[in-house]
Amino acid sequence: MTDIQALLPWFVAAWLFGVGLYAIVTSRNFVHLIGCLSVLQSSTYVLLLGIGYRNGGIAPIFVDHPPTTPAVDPVLQALVLTDVVVGATVTALLLALVLQVHKQRGTLDPDKLRPMQR
Amino acid sequence: MIAALPAIPVAGALAAAALLLVFGKLLPGRAPDVVAVLVAVAVTMICAMMTVHAADAPLTYWFGGWSSHGGQVIGIRFVVDQAGGAIATLVGVLFVATLVFAWGFFGETHAHFHVLMLLFMAGMVGFCLTHDLFNMFVWFELMSVAAFALTGYHLRPSALEGAMNFTVVNTIGSYLLLSGIALIYAEIGALDLSALGAGVARMPGNPVVGAAFVLLSSGFLIKGAQVPFHFWLSDAHAVAPSPVSVIFSGAMVAIGIFGVARLIFTIFAPDPAVLHVVSTLLQGMGVASTIVGAIMALTQRHLKRMLAFSTISHVGIMLIGLALLSRGGVAGMLAYFAGHGLVKGALFMVAGILLATQAGIDEIGLRGMGKPIWPAGVAMGLAGLLLAGLPVGAMRGGSDLIEAAARDAGRPWLIAVLMFGAAGTGAAVLRAAGRIFLGLGPVAGEEESAPTEAERENANRPLWLMLAPTIVLLALVLPFGGAPAGFGWQAAERFMHPDGVDVSAVAMPAPAAAWHAWASVAIALGFAAVQLFRHRLPRWLTQGAGAASQPVTAPLAVLHSGLVGDYVAWLVVGLALFTACFALG
Repeated sequence: MTDIQALLPWFVAAWLFGVGLYAIVTSRNFVHLIGCLSVLQSSTYVLLLGIGYRNGGIAPIFVDHPPTTPAVDPVLQALVLTDVVVGATVTALLLALVLQVHKQRGTLDPDKLRPMQR
Repeated sequence: MIAALPAIPVAGALAAAALLLVFGKLLPGRAPDVVAVLVAVAVTMICAMMTVHAADAPLTYWFGGWSSHGGQVIGIRFVVDQAGGAIATLVGVLFVATLVFAWGFFGETHAHFHVLMLLFMAGMVGFCLTHDLFNMFVWFELMSVAAFALTGYHLRPSALEGAMNFTVVNTIGSYLLLSGIALIYAEIGALDLSALGAGVARMPGNPVVGAAFVLLSSGFLIKGAQVPFHFWLSDAHAVAPSPVSVIFSGAMVAIGIFGVARLIFTIFAPDPAVLHVVSTLLQGMGVASTIVGAIMALTQRHLKRMLAFSTISHVGIMLIGLALLSRGGVAGMLAYFAGHGLVKGALFMVAGILLATQAGIDEIGLRGMGKPIWPAGVAMGLAGLLLAGLPVGAMRGGSDLIEAAARDAGRPWLIAVLMFGAAGTGAAVLRAAGRIFLGLGPVAGEEESAPTEAERENANRPLWLMLAPTIVLLALVLPFGGAPAGFGWQAAERFMHPDGVDVSAVAMPAPAAAWHAWASVAIALGFAAVQLFRHRLPRWLTQGAGAASQPVTAPLAVLHSGLVGDYVAWLVVGLALFTACFALG
């Protein structure tokens, strides 16, 4: 594997992280903002999978393979699964909050929604 | 002793939560309250028992019996040391008090509130006991998600908006944590804290390890609400239901600092570059939080928001203790954690009592209305004095240790910062107590209109039921004299050297000076008096003071804008500060 290929996941992860943060800072709608949070989160998927990847490795299931076959790191795959669960929980919760906010306030613009207006 | 004891508090709370969720609808009336209180009591007792046993040696439990193979750790374990066990016990105590305080608070809720509270407790206790980095993240996340849901529980506009800011900022923190875990796993190939520590010792100065530290500690400092990551806190704590705020301020925020401390002493201690960042940048953050929190607390009139800012200030003091990286500083941090958790929990309960019985949370709107419930006023005044540094109890024991450690580290100016934080936050509480319960400080002009949304909480509980847990929490701070500080001193040694056997019997350092305590109490009382008797002071003096403080308070008020985009921008600034400190250090 060339150097560029090896570094690509790191660049992609950093890029997704940066783009996600920028989009959250500038977002004008909470539904859009939650989407941006998911973009930011996908950087962690890429990072974890990139770190666990082994060139030429199989999926870490050894039913049809001898146990010494090179495989990708199963620990990181487990971390990604947990990450997916976390992301799903938080997104669902945020969307539920957004629905309630929209019902009560009729807007989703963070500029018009401030918890403590003085 | 049962070998699996360390797993029981967490497993029991999770199982109880699951059962309550399924059968909550079938249970009559107040049965969910009874179940939740009993579970919390059991968790507290088991954690306390484990803490006592951990004095000889930490208790270890490998889940599923998977321990190590060929010298490599392959399982996940709980390791109960004195510090972790004591914090878990404190969490349990706060939950017992809060669940009693919230008895019937939510009416018929199908026990959803209790389910969330039990999950919240399980997350915090697991976080204190685990010895695996990713497992720490899982408990952290459980705790966070339960907290997000509890904040917006009332479904009122301000609560929903506060909950959204809280969720977005803290979720970004979680992703930072996860990225940090990924980086350090990529470099060392382990997740067990001790194995990671051994790995870092093999490669001091490694830039990937440094980057992992930046990501991990910023994730925890977001939860710990330290400047510039602190903005979410005042929104969330001010709008959450009062019983939930008790837990937030009493334990959840400070547990972020505990997480940073755990990582530093188990993983990163062998890396001089990381220690340098801790003793410079983290100390700076602690100082900034102590000062900003105290100033902001003094300018608030929304009682819970004022208490929220005071939490930022006191957690800043804990971070200062940690950043001294000495046994005294860490011992002080632990004792301060306990003292502050109990005092601040009691204060949020007083705020809850006012919300329930007087239907208000605006300090000026409530002026003089607290007289019929004067015992709550006594509790609030006492708590204010304790925040200000009254020389009794765990809080004072903690700050004595931190002050002595600062003196021994050649940074005596930190003592002034500690005194400022204590005096400022104490003054804010004392001023509010004087206004609400004694009817002092008449107001005029634009102050008469309350800027905050009208709020109230269920008035369906007798006063004594709400007052009893408040008094119990305060009573737990007071009587033990130097015991909490002594315990912290003992626990800190093992906490800082988890794999060492040297539990040295060095004597505790003498407190810096007794007059510090009285001085900060006197400053707090004086400041509160000036604000309450403003109308009797000469006009030039009050106007001059107003003009002098305006350049500080006005920009700070503007910065706390309530906009989640701004908060995330500050988060990026914090990350940049970390990176710059690593690059320059």
